[in-house]
Order: sequence, then C-alpha cells, then structure tokens
Amino acid sequence: MDDPRTLEHLLVTRMVRFNATVQGVVTGLVLGLIVFVATIWLVIKSGPVVGPHLALLGQYFIGYRVTALGSVIGFVWGFVVGFALGFFLTTTYNWLTDPRHRTARRP
Amino acid sequence: MTEANRKVVIIGGGPAGLTAGRELIKFGHRPTVLEKTERVGGLSCTVRYKGFYFDMGGHRFFTKVDEVNKIWQEVLGGEFLRRPRMSRIFYNNRFFHYPLKPLNALAGLGICQAILVVLSYLRWQIRPHKHEDTFEQWVTNRFGYRLFSIFFKTYTEKVWGIPCSELRAEWAAQRIKGLSLKTVLLSMFLKPQRTIKTLIEEFDYPRLGPGMMWQAVAGEIEEKGGRVRLGEDVVRVYRTGNRIDSVVVARDGREEMLPATHFLSSMPVSELILKLSPPPPASVLAAARHLTYRDFLTVCLIVRKRDLFPDNWIYVHSAQVQVGRIQNFANWSPDMVPDPSKSSLGLEYFCTEGDALWNTPDARLIELAARELETVGLATRADIEDGCVFRVPKAYPVYDASYAEYMATVRAFVDGLENLQTIGRNGLHRYNNQDHAMLTGLLAVRNLVLGEHNDLWSVNTEAEYHEEITEKTLTPTLQEYFPRIDGVALAGATGAAGGLALFLATILLVLKGGAVVGPTLGLLGQYFPGYTVSPSGALLGLLYGVVAGGALGWTFALLRNTVLLLYVAIVRRRVELGLLRRFLEFV
Repeated sequence: MDDPRTLEHLLVTRMVRFNATVQGVVTGLVLGLIVFVATIWLVIKSGPVVGPHLALLGQYFIGYRVTALGSVIGFVWGFVVGFALGFFLTTTYNWLTDPRHRTARRP
Repeated sequence: MTEANRKVVIIGGGPAGLTAGRELIKFGHRPTVLEKTERVGGLSCTVRYKGFYFDMGGHRFFTKVDEVNKIWQEVLGGEFLRRPRMSRIFYNNRFFHYPLKPLNALAGLGICQAILVVLSYLRWQIRPHKHEDTFEQWVTNRFGYRLFSIFFKTYTEKVWGIPCSELRAEWAAQRIKGLSLKTVLLSMFLKPQRTIKTLIEEFDYPRLGPGMMWQAVAGEIEEKGGRVRLGEDVVRVYRTGNRIDSVVVARDGREEMLPATHFLSSMPVSELILKLSPPPPASVLAAARHLTYRDFLTVCLIVRKRDLFPDNWIYVHSAQVQVGRIQNFANWSPDMVPDPSKSSLGLEYFCTEGDALWNTPDARLIELAARELETVGLATRADIEDGCVFRVPKAYPVYDASYAEYMATVRAFVDGLENLQTIGRNGLHRYNNQDHAMLTGLLAVRNLVLGEHNDLWSVNTEAEYHEEITEKTLTPTLQEYFPRIDGVALAGATGAAGGLALFLATILLVLKGGAVVGPTLGLLGQYFPGYTVSPSGALLGLLYGVVAGGALGWTFALLRNTVLLLYVAIVRRRVELGLLRRFLEFV
C-alpha cells in the first residue's frame, strides 16, 4: 500500500480528472440521442395529439416540435445543451478538485 | 573488438548456455560450451535407463515468450506432442484434483474439515497477520491457516526443507505473478481466458523428453562450428582486475586452460565466485558461501503394469511418506516407454546434497520408493521390475531469510566483471523456469554482440519481463480511470450546474410571460416547498438546484468509488483463488 506504484495506492490517494471536451461531447451525444429517440418514437406511434408533454421542450429549444424534422432539431439542441452541461460540470469539477488535492498533499 | 577475434566460452550446457551458444552461432561466432556432466540439458535433462526415458523434474513446454517458442519450434517442430494434462494431490489417503476444484476439495476434506476451513478463512480475513514477512503469513492471510496447513505446508516444506515460517514471503512474490494488483487487472483485461485454460489443460512435450531438445541444440552448435564439451568441469576462473582471462577445466585428472575474450556462465553463481583467481574481496566470498540450494533425487522405477494411474504427475502431501512428487512418464509421452505393457515412474525426493537421504545407497532408495509407492496405493512392491537413481544437485536456489542481502553483494561484484555475464537459473540465483533461463541466454548474447543493455536479473518468472512493456504502455490509461472521484468537487459541480439550470429554466419562462407562466415547471413546487415560476422562485430554484444537484453528485461519487473498490477487491480475490488452484506449480 505504501508503494506509490501500486494500484491500491492509486485508488486511495489519487483523484480522477476529466477531460472537459470529451465529457462535453459524450454528454451532448447522449442528451441529443435521448431527445431524438424520444421524439421519433412518438412520431412513429402517432395518434390524434402527438407528444403534448414532450412538445413543452419547445419552450426552451427554439424550432423544436414533435415531428420528424423536430427530432433532428431536438438532437442538435440536445447536443448543444448536453455539451454545455458536460463541459461546465467537468470544468467546475476539475477547478474545485485541483486546489483541494494540492491542499491535501501539503505536509 | 571485431567479430573475428571475439572468442566466447559458455560455462554450462543447460537451456541458458545452449540457447546462448545457438544464438552466437547465428551471429557467426564459434562458441565453446563447457558442461560438467556427461549429458546436456542441465536441470532440463532426460536420462535413459534400459530403453526407458526419465525426465528429471517433468518439464512442460509452454511459454509466453515468443522468441523462446520460436526456438522450440525451429529445433524440434514435428517432434512435439500435444499432451493432455492431469495432476492430483495425494493427501490424507485421498486424491484431490489439481488445479484444485472447490467442490472436489470440499468433498474430499469432509464436511467438518470443510467448515473448519471456511471458519479459519474468515478468521484470517478479519484479523490477518500485520506483517507478511514469511511464506506462512502470506498464504495464511489469503487462504486461512487450515487450508495452508492442508494444501501448502507439508509439500512446500518437503520441497524446501525449511519450515514455511522461515521461507521468505518474497519467494512467493517473485514466484507468483499476480501480487501486483495492476498485473492482476492487466491479466484480467488483456489475457484471453482461453489461453490460460489451454495452458492448464494441455501442454507440448518433446517425444523423448526435454533432453531431446538440448541434444538437438548441442548437435546444431557442433554442426555449425561451435563445440560442446561434456564432462569438463570448470575448476578455476582466472581474472585480471575486472576482466576474466581464462577458465581451467578438469577432465580425468588433467587440466586445460581455455582463454577467451568473453564468458557466459550458468554455473551456480556461488561456485563461480569461489573459483575466481585471484579471489574477490572477503565480503563477496562470505556472501557467496551463504547462498544455498535445494537438491533432489529421482528414483526411477520400471513397473510391470501399464496404465497405473491417469496423471502426468501426483503431488504427495502426506507426511507419512517422504516422496514429494511422482511422475508417470508414459502419460508425458508414450514414446518414453519402450514396452507398452510396462510403466516407468519417477519418484522425486527433495533433499540437500550431503544429507542422509542424498547419501543413501541407490538400492535402499529403490526399496524406499517401492515401499512408498505401495503406501500411496499406486502399485505393489511385487510389481517393481527394476530401478535406478539420479541425483540432481542445486536444482533450486533457496530464498531464505538472508539471501537477498547476500545476493546483492554477489551481484554487485559480478556486475563489475566486464566480460562476464551470468545466465540461467543458477547463474542468476533466481527461480526461473526453462523458458526464462533460455531468455537470459538470448539476451546475454545480444548484450555481447549487439551492445544492448538488457538486464538479465530482471528476467523473471511468468513473463514479467515481457509484460513490463505492456504495463508501461498502459499505466497512463489505468491512472486515468482508476483513481477516485472527488465527491465534494463533483457535488460542487453538479450543484452549480443544477442550480444554474433551474434558475435559467425559470427565468426564461418568466421573461417569455403569458397567461399562465410555466405550469409544468411549476410542478417542481411539489418537491421544493415555496418554489414557483417567478423571479423570486428563480432564486429559490437556484438554491434548491444547488442543494439537490450537490446531493446527487456527492451520492454518485460515493457509489462509484465504493463500487470500484469492491470491483477491484473482487477481481483480486478471484485472481488469488486462481493462484490457490495452481499454486503448487510455483513451488
């Protein structure tokens, strides 16, 4: 455990850092896909009123509707918002953990 | 120095020395290999008696070192047999599958013993030894004392001749890959399970035993201009300062001096030190004298029955007999037994050169072996047709409590000799298998001819040398993924994101206005008391978002870190159980 080369040592002493861009892209893709699939699913199911609740996203995503075209627009919005969220989260995390980790290492 | 005037003498005609000789031939040299005994192969030799072939120790041919495998295939190729592997443990008058199978082991032990094994395991998991200095402590901490005493203690003590409480834990650490958790994880992720399974269930073996390989290599060296001189004992090694000038070999009472420019030595490093002239400093001589070895003798028996038992070999743990391992050579290769109506067995007794067992006359050893074979229940004394005894000195370098300190002194001196490299198991005083002994020979030649700087002392068991490269490559990746998530930092980040998101979502709807502002978002008030879609609600939402988001982030980090630690612990435990199953192969 005292050997800094061992993984056990790594597990208890080191804090993980994330790459903000990578996390942003991943979160963006995930959120974009969720919006896309949720939308297209309702479009395929169809019915007298298609996706009245999901359509509320249009309040925030300009141009978004529960239609085939809307699913693509929703993907783009989802990606943008997801990227912003992921990037912000990661940057904040790294920003907060860096000084904490440095402090913890002081004798 | 040009290649033309480079003259190389190799001391020792075992796997390391002969591999080095073969490699030197490839580079255009004509080395001289000096072998003390009358047969090549060193610890991997095969002896012949009345047409029966006996392998001294039982050597499976499998390796993770591609270069070694290539040599095997180049030399013997079609002479290899792919053999099924079966081995068992004889303990308390019962046979246990080996590698251990949990249900078979528990059934064999009986319900009471099995319960005690489990209780002992739990006891040592709860309160393990604080220090793992000895082999006994190391195994007990992992498997419990009772399991240790059943499956490890007696056999290990038979092999090493010292109590497990005196055997260094370092020995286990060097012998068993998997102590480094990183290596464990790498092996879990990188090695196909199929390969491991294959290695356990079958192996390659030369038709007439491992000696066939080394006779072929020796023949190759001689054919291409090198020399393999048998029965030539190196009695002195002359040096001037840090350079070796020549060696003196003795045969039939005559001595001959062989000068050379370079020397490779696989003779026991302690003997090498003691044969140097002028002798090295007293501290080095003293250290060399403290390096010890374990030896063994094989009682070869020809039995008038076929198919005595299905195993390639049996580990004998029972303390009621002295034999440590029993080889059944027909199951290694049918070609080793000239008469298919008979069997040839090798009963291996671990001892120390000069002790009572070592000095016992052959006839009495054969009698002892026949009696013990009957005790184990594998054959009756009346079935024994004939027998002979072969003694193998310095088979195992001993890792006792003080060896590391003495070895460091010896190594420091040997490393200072400019034109000498030590190779092989005994040359390096390391418990290397045949393939790694060969690798040390290969690398020594590359150091000599190509000027490479391979560290021969690092060539260790189970391809650690080979895997180091992979570890180095993957370390940054592992470091990226396995450290903990900082819970407070993640809570801060998710809190900030959550608060900001709720604030923006609220304020956006407020700014848009309308007859009814944000009826759906307003439902959050069900969970966040006082929250409304209004300017003041946006501020309250910011606060709620920070708290809820923070709690979520902190919980996520806690769960992720806990699961990761549990996962690593489970992986480690699984690998340790795997070690337990295959443990004896490392003894």
